[in-house]
Amino acid sequence: MYILNYQYAVWSPLIWLVSLAVVSIMVFIWRSRGRKSYKEATAQTDVFLSGAKVPPEEERHVKADNIYWGFFESLKGLYRWMMKPHTGIVNDYLLWFVVVSAIAILIFFVAGS
Amino acid sequence: MDLKNFNRALWVYHMNTGSCNGCDIEILAVLTPRYDVERFGIKLVGSPRHADVLLVTGPVARSMEDSVRRVYSQVPDPKVVMAVGNCGIEGDVFHEAYSLVGPIDQIIPVDVYVPGCPPRPEAITYGVVTAWVKLENLAKQAEEEEEEEEEVA
Repeated sequence: MYILNYQYAVWSPLIWLVSLAVVSIMVFIWRSRGRKSYKEATAQTDVFLSGAKVPPEEERHVKADNIYWGFFESLKGLYRWMMKPHTGIVNDYLLWFVVVSAIAILIFFVAGS
Repeated sequence: MDLKNFNRALWVYHMNTGSCNGCDIEILAVLTPRYDVERFGIKLVGSPRHADVLLVTGPVARSMEDSVRRVYSQVPDPKVVMAVGNCGIEGDVFHEAYSLVGPIDQIIPVDVYVPGCPPRPEAITYGVVTAWVKLENLAKQAEEEEEEEEEVA
């Protein structure tokens, strides 16, 4: 087997495989010596979340790509309110533009007079 | 102490149910170099699923009731519950407070009581050792029951 030999490191798939096997055996032995007095299908095998009630899996799942989850979750109330005017209809946006412009012009004239 | 059935390290999960932190500081003192119970294999763990002993402090605030029940049910058998401090045992100065549902033995069964406000580290250590003896007896009972079942089978 060809072994890549750099100046500072050695790469051999065989070494990695042997290491993996050794670690797997260690994990297996360690795990088999663990506690067996758990009662299956009781709270003793439930997820521990500091004593809080753990929601069902489908409700607590957060996608790995959703890095803004915490941000959205904490500002949920604001987003719910903000999403209402965002209808996706151009007419609505133009109406907002006209109304806001009218108010701004009014303020401009009142303040300027 | 002659431990034959429960002859391993004792892992303790500490739960604060609304304590003033006095008892909790004394529990930490038990782990400091002055008392250092870890040399006997007694250590605090971060999950009730790893624990043998559930150590509870505080008079049990109403909002903590569910959590106390849930954490108790998550400790694997055999398990022992310790109530540390007067508040957890009988409410102490908070016993008439509207926001309490305790003391602890009103919510979950308690095996060892360590009174004091707060109790001294020596008293807590003695309580843990008492819990250990109780666990030894529970483990012995479980072993005898298993043997009986095997004989019947």
